[in-house]
Amino acid sequence: MLLATVVGQVWATQKDDSLAGVRLVVVRPFVRGKDGGEEPSAETMVAADPLGVGNGERVLVVFGRAARHVIGRGHDIAFQTAVAAIVDGIEFEGGESLGPSADHD
Amino acid sequence: MFLGRVVGELWATKKVRDLEGKRLLVIESLDERREPGAPKVTPVVAADPIGAGVGEHVIVAFGKAARVACGGDGDLAYEAAVVGIVDDAEVPEAPASWGLGGAH
Repeated sequence: MLLATVVGQVWATQKDDSLAGVRLVVVRPFVRGKDGGEEPSAETMVAADPLGVGNGERVLVVFGRAARHVIGRGHDIAFQTAVAAIVDGIEFEGGESLGPSADHD
Repeated sequence: MFLGRVVGELWATKKVRDLEGKRLLVIESLDERREPGAPKVTPVVAADPIGAGVGEHVIVAFGKAARVACGGDGDLAYEAAVVGIVDDAEVPEAPASWGLGGAH
């Protein structure tokens, strides 16, 4: 499981039949700098979103069988990444914390 | 599986049902590239069925092993879990920053 920030949404009309009606969002994995704060991340991922997340929200992303379970269409589907939770907050050692989005930090 | 250090705890109200009541920890793996001088780390989030605390070293399992550790089988919404809290470890080549106390 990874922490990530939602940065967009993606649409695809032509796709595997098993993905019909699945909302797809673009997320950036959370990267922690050496000072403990969030650093810009260059990587992006596409995740199925059963929760209805919005841009800027921090989320928990799951992979593989766990993701297919979250999507709820059985295991014979053409996807392996999904949003499983919307983060309220993260408390790090030393008392530093992150909120539900960068705006709240 | 990997050895990691718990660096934080995560809260989420809106989540899939399987994650309700699950303690979620933010964990950085012990990795040569993740020395304090290294610029960036992508931590993982793991379910914690055994009560590890921030700052502790833990063993993290992935996939089905993680789901079994949380008392389930294949159909659960997570794939990483803490399966052990490290009491002691001896890794002579580990850098001091890992905090494992390698020299005995």
